[in-house]
Amino acid sequence: MMLRRVGLLTIGCALTLTACSKKTPETVTPSPSTPTVAERDTATERMAREAAERARQDSIARARAAEDAAERERQLQAIRGVLEAPVYFEYDDDRLTEEAATALAQKVQILRANPGVSVRITGHTDERGSVEYNLALGMRRAQSVRDYISGFSVDPARLEIVSMGEDQPEDPGHDEAAWSKNRRAAFMITSGSTLNAPGR
Amino acid sequence: MRRLTALSITILALPVAATQASAQVRDTSRAPTAIQLSGEYTATDRPSIAVQPFAGSAGTGVAPDSMATIIRRDLEYSDLLVPASVPPNLVSATPDYRALNSLNIDYLVTGEVQLTGGGYQLALTVHDVVYGRVKDAARYRLPALTAGDFRMAVHSLSDEIVRGITNRPGFAASRVALTRQNKATASRATGSYDLLVVDADGFGLRRLSGNTGQIYSPTWSPDGSKLAYAFNAGATWQLIERDMETSRTRTVTSMKNLTTPTYSPDGSRIAFAGWVEGNGFEIYDYDINRNCCRRLIASSQREDQAPSYSADGSRIAFMSDRLGQPHIYIADTNGGRATLLSPFVSGMRGYYFSPDWAPNSSKIVFSGHWNSRGVYQIMVADATRPGGAIDQLTSSGDNEDPSWAPDGRHIVFSSGVGDQQLSLYVIDAVTKKRRLLTGGTGKLRMSDWSPILAKASDYVVN
Repeated sequence: MMLRRVGLLTIGCALTLTACSKKTPETVTPSPSTPTVAERDTATERMAREAAERARQDSIARARAAEDAAERERQLQAIRGVLEAPVYFEYDDDRLTEEAATALAQKVQILRANPGVSVRITGHTDERGSVEYNLALGMRRAQSVRDYISGFSVDPARLEIVSMGEDQPEDPGHDEAAWSKNRRAAFMITSGSTLNAPGR
Repeated sequence: MRRLTALSITILALPVAATQASAQVRDTSRAPTAIQLSGEYTATDRPSIAVQPFAGSAGTGVAPDSMATIIRRDLEYSDLLVPASVPPNLVSATPDYRALNSLNIDYLVTGEVQLTGGGYQLALTVHDVVYGRVKDAARYRLPALTAGDFRMAVHSLSDEIVRGITNRPGFAASRVALTRQNKATASRATGSYDLLVVDADGFGLRRLSGNTGQIYSPTWSPDGSKLAYAFNAGATWQLIERDMETSRTRTVTSMKNLTTPTYSPDGSRIAFAGWVEGNGFEIYDYDINRNCCRRLIASSQREDQAPSYSADGSRIAFMSDRLGQPHIYIADTNGGRATLLSPFVSGMRGYYFSPDWAPNSSKIVFSGHWNSRGVYQIMVADATRPGGAIDQLTSSGDNEDPSWAPDGRHIVFSSGVGDQQLSLYVIDAVTKKRRLLTGGTGKLRMSDWSPILAKASDYVVN
């Protein structure tokens, strides 16, 4: 946040300077007498100097604007990362763990700061058990997440849910280490790409 | 009295069981007493049958050989007849019944093939060797060897032979629909499925569609003209119905989050599990022809899935986790209490799923284990005796998604170790004899056996 404000200030400064320097030659030209060679040289030098300074200031402004945009992009990615990070579940369970609830609280803040954003919540399971029953377990996990988020005044219509069952493991392994990563709800922004950081 | 040696059955059965035990995980846990494991091969009094090489006009050698080979294999796979062979010196258009009888051959099939325009004419004869006479004889017009329906036409003749001798239905002229989960590639995440079909004898495996999303629970319409399945391209599960003749597909209903479809026996309705906000999956059925009018047939605050109709359409079997873990229940389709069918052992959670009601009896096959973390086995229960004995057909490997053949005796199921490689097997619920249907090509699962797709009467020449 601070960085961006500094950036905007810098852009303001640069614009002011440019506007000022444009006026300067006009104060020189209405001179009543014919300028001497020395006077002409001074005026020419001054104009050249001013042009160089303008170019320098413009390039600084451009660089700062680019930096600012990059920083803003980094921030957006960070926000998106928080919003789209999966939450994990226990075996054959659709109840939210404490960790999951903490992660969801952060998502709630982001969703409230961005009313135009809609999210698809996809429930996943590990590979054990019936394929079809795992589809139901995935739905229940997605539903648990949606219920939690919509409990904080987020319109449930913004939270689409679907289940992939056991078919898209995060980890393709066949042990508990892999399974614990695969029992999850995943998030994907489906509309509203503009992201504001949540207010303090 | 048909002569039959127990020895010949044993020789036939055991190598099959031994070589096809792809699944090496042995389930050594002790099952509850209500589950009876009957994995022993039991000899039954089955007549023996030989198919002698078909005769044919010049230049048609491949076709007669193919026909005789297909029929020979079908008769063996019926598990109603014991295959026998005719020594070369006894192959004749006028069989030596006495000599064949002394070789313990009860029936003999002979054929004569003529090339006709665009196909063949087959004169097929079934001889009763014991009584020394022709039992059945008919002429059939068959498609060309390269025609798509050649094998199915020949299969229908096998079913006719089985019916003629045993008065029981065969299942040779049928197919199995299945799904295959594709491996992940650089451009595609895992989770993409293909829809395939394979003939009942394991030949003709072919891909119908896929690679664009998840395909679950394919199910045949009762006339075999359509396949319905659940499909998800990422956003929601829909029901798709595919016309097998035209290959056209359509979305059955605009309802979302649907799975486990099954047709009613008259084909007019399709039952499925539909996700209801706050209520989980409930089972509905839907009027296909009128494209409307869904009707609730099973509801609880938990998950109800995988409906399967009884042959008369008056009852359904389904899976529900209303006791906490998935179990198999039966209920009337017009409402009424659900009755628990799968074994419930106090203190054991149990885990049972994928029920399939037999097409011609009160038997229901399903998969599961009395301990929720065990490996799953194929079991058969009788809907008329809830709480009664349960017949466990398999005892090793992970076995899932069973489906009855149209004869109501054979069952196709998916089997493997740890879900990494799944193949389809066919087991005879009576003898427990098991054979590989198709496998070695990835995760094959969610098999559904078609009804009879061709009848000999379609090909008979008057």
